[in-house]
Formats: sequence, structure tokens, C-alpha cells
Amino acid sequence: MDTSQILLEIDHLTKKFGDQTILQDVSFQVRKGEVIVIIGPSGCGKSTMLRCINALEEIQGGEIRVDGETVNAAGGNVRSADLARLRQKIGMVFQSYDLFPHLTVLDNITIAPLKVQKRNKAEIEQEAMQWLERVGLADKAKSFPRELSGGQKQRVAIVRALCMHPEVLLFDEVTAALDPEMVREVLDVMLDLAKQERTMLIVTHEMAFARAVADRVLFIDSGNIVEEGKPADFFTHPATERAQKFLHTFEFEAVK
Amino acid sequence: MPDLGLEVLFKGKNAVRLLGGLWIALRISLISVLISIPLGILLGALMTWKNPVMRAILRVYLEFIRIMPQLVLLFLVYFGTTRAFGWDLSGEVASVIVFSLWGTAEMSDLVRGALQSIPVHQYESAAALGMNRVQTYLYIIIPQTIRRLIPLSINLITRMIKTTSLILMIGVVEVLKVAQQIIEANRMASPNAAFGIYLTVFILYFLACWPISLLAKYLEKRWK
Repeated sequence: MDTSQILLEIDHLTKKFGDQTILQDVSFQVRKGEVIVIIGPSGCGKSTMLRCINALEEIQGGEIRVDGETVNAAGGNVRSADLARLRQKIGMVFQSYDLFPHLTVLDNITIAPLKVQKRNKAEIEQEAMQWLERVGLADKAKSFPRELSGGQKQRVAIVRALCMHPEVLLFDEVTAALDPEMVREVLDVMLDLAKQERTMLIVTHEMAFARAVADRVLFIDSGNIVEEGKPADFFTHPATERAQKFLHTFEFEAVK
Repeated sequence: MPDLGLEVLFKGKNAVRLLGGLWIALRISLISVLISIPLGILLGALMTWKNPVMRAILRVYLEFIRIMPQLVLLFLVYFGTTRAFGWDLSGEVASVIVFSLWGTAEMSDLVRGALQSIPVHQYESAAALGMNRVQTYLYIIIPQTIRRLIPLSINLITRMIKTTSLILMIGVVEVLKVAQQIIEANRMASPNAAFGIYLTVFILYFLACWPISLLAKYLEKRWK
């Protein structure tokens, strides 16, 4: 493996809430341009893992590095100035969109590039509008989040993350709170990003989407990576019994 | 139409005296509001700290002021402390002290509530975008807190204005006291003046509080 291409390293990550171990000694690496889909039963720690990657959670063991720089480590000795800088390399989209309700769609997108990265206002607004156009929301630029549907909010949240020019994007069950007909519009945006060779870590329960978008699938159960592989192999012949059982929960037998 | 004794209003300087009384009530509440708001914001922010000692002290202060009827607080400051410590307080100063203590306590609880009602996701979203603590508060948390706070604090202001009607009990000649004096002075000539004059006082309070109340409603709607 060409190590110069490694963007993100999860190195012996252990995460506990009190006495309860959520993630136990998890290690993997993400190469530039790679799309990794993380699946597993609910409560297996996959969302927590994404939150550890951009240091929204303290970790109890191991280290996480982006571009070779430590962003989160056991003991939490990352300087807050470094953390703010490194987080700009890691875009994150949450399940509950979490747009800022007091700002318009456009301001939601431009506030961080403007205030954090001190970029030129006209340039960011132009970029934001291009993205909004691309995700079909140019006419909503002046709207407030409360005026948008869930799917529209989630697309705005994705654009907001993109306009920071992150090197890797984390998606935490971004379609889980959406009505079924809105899931597609959000997944289409993500497929489009995958085509542009963006580096992405996606936690999802949409198996058909996972299969279409992933370069690599990680199956996590009880805080460990149980199986990892190419989507074609993983979804057709999962090697472990636990993965077989998990995938089986998405199938239905005819009852009539 | 029954005789309301409204003609008393136009005798001598009675109307002007009533307005003067209203001004005293408004002045005391406005000074107290100006003191309460910054102090309340400060204490409210401190209440969200995790320090248990700080929280306990502020909690005791808040509960003490809340449980105590305002009239008892006024008596305590005006009659109690002046005897006990031998200082000299005018009724107006005592009123400002009590109303500021009360306003600060209520305001701090509103600020605490508004700060705590901002979901943790808002902090996390801001952090994920690379904002530091100061930027998060400046651009994300404080603007949302203020939007939640302004309608609530405006309601507090109208409550304070209305509660100034108690300060006649410690000898401050505010609008209600002036009204009583006018009624007393005209007891023989216009025995019905009580109705007309108190009606006027009602209208004056209404005119003072209603626009403030409307503003609160307007802001609430606009920022919903």
C-alpha cells in the first residue's frame, strides 16, 4: 500500500462511556479518494466512531491522525487551536442536519468559511451558490432552515461541510431521520461526490446505496471491526456468521 | 352614565401630578431594569457552570428572592436594614435596590433557561466546522440565546412596572399614591372620584405596559 496516500489513520482506538466499552482497539486507514461505508447493528459504536474522528468525543485509548497530525488522542492533549485547524480538514454531516436556525441557508454555508477561514465574502458566496445550484436548492438561498424539508436541510448541511474544503467527509446516518421519498435526493448528492473521488466515511443503513457507493465496507459489531471487504464480496458472500446474520435482517421471506 | 368624578382630574394640577407619579414608577423600574439585565446575564451564565459551590449560592439567592413576596423585601430593606445598619435610605433608593435584586434573580433564571435550551448539536455543528469557543458563542450560541431571551425579558420589564404599585407602602409617592391623595383631597366635593381616578391610573399603567407587550409579541413572531 502506498502510505503517502493515507489521509486518515485510526490507530488502536478505544472509546468508553463510563465502564461500558463502545469501541475496542479499532484500527483502519483511509486513503485519499476512498469511500468507506461503515455498517453494523444499532448501538455497535459506528456513529460514536465518526464522532471520535473529529474529536467530538474524548477517547480512552489510541490515536486518530489526519494528514499525519494527531486530531484526537487518549489523554486529550491536542491544543484547541490545532483542533480547530484540523477539524477544518474533516467535514461532518449529522443525522439531525443541525443547521443554525437563526441564519439563512446562504449564511449557514458561508459563516464558517468567512469567520474561521477568513476567506473573501464574494468568492465564498459564489461557491456556495454554485453548490446550491448543483444540489437543486439555488432558489432557497435566502430561506431559513425552518422553511425547508428534511431532505433539503440535509443537502444544505452537506454543502455547508463542502464549502470548508475538507479533505475527508464524515456522514453520520444522514438519511436516518428522513421520510423515504427524501432519502433518494440526499443519497444522489453523495453518489455525485463519490464520483468526484472525494474521500468519504459513511455510516448508513441503506444497504443498496452502500453497495453502490463504497470502495470498501467495514462491518462493525460490539465495538470491533468484524469484517471488511469490497462491497461486491461483502454483500454477496459475507465471510463471518455475524455479518450474514446482520445482512439477513434486511431481507424478507414471502409469507403468502 | 354614573358620575365618575372625572372632573377632579382637571382640577388644579391633578393630571400633571398623576403623570409625575407615573414617571416616578417608570423611572424606578427602568433604573432597576438597566441594573438587572447585565447582572442577570452574568449570573445566568454563571448558573450554567458546572461548579457546584457557585451553583448552590446562585440557587439559594434565586429561591430566596422568589419565595419572598416583593412587599416583604421592600419592608426588609427599607425598615429592616436601615434600623439594623443605621444607614439612611430614601424610599426610592430602597425600591431600586429591591427591584434590582428581584430583577437580577428573575433575569438570571431566564438567561440560564435560554442558554440551556440551545441544543448540544449546535455547539457540535459549530465545532465540526472548525469554530473555536469564542466564535461558537459569538456567531452561533449568543444570537440564538438573545432571540429566545428578548420576549421573556420584556415581559419581566412589564411585571416590574406593575409591581412598583407596592412601593407606596414604603412612602414613595408614585402614581397610585398620588391617586389616593387626590381622592382623599376631594372626598367631600367629588365622593365618586375614586372610580374615575383609579380608572385613569389603570389606563396609565396600560399605556405604559401595552406597547412593551406588543413589542415582545412582535419579536417573538419574527424570530420564531
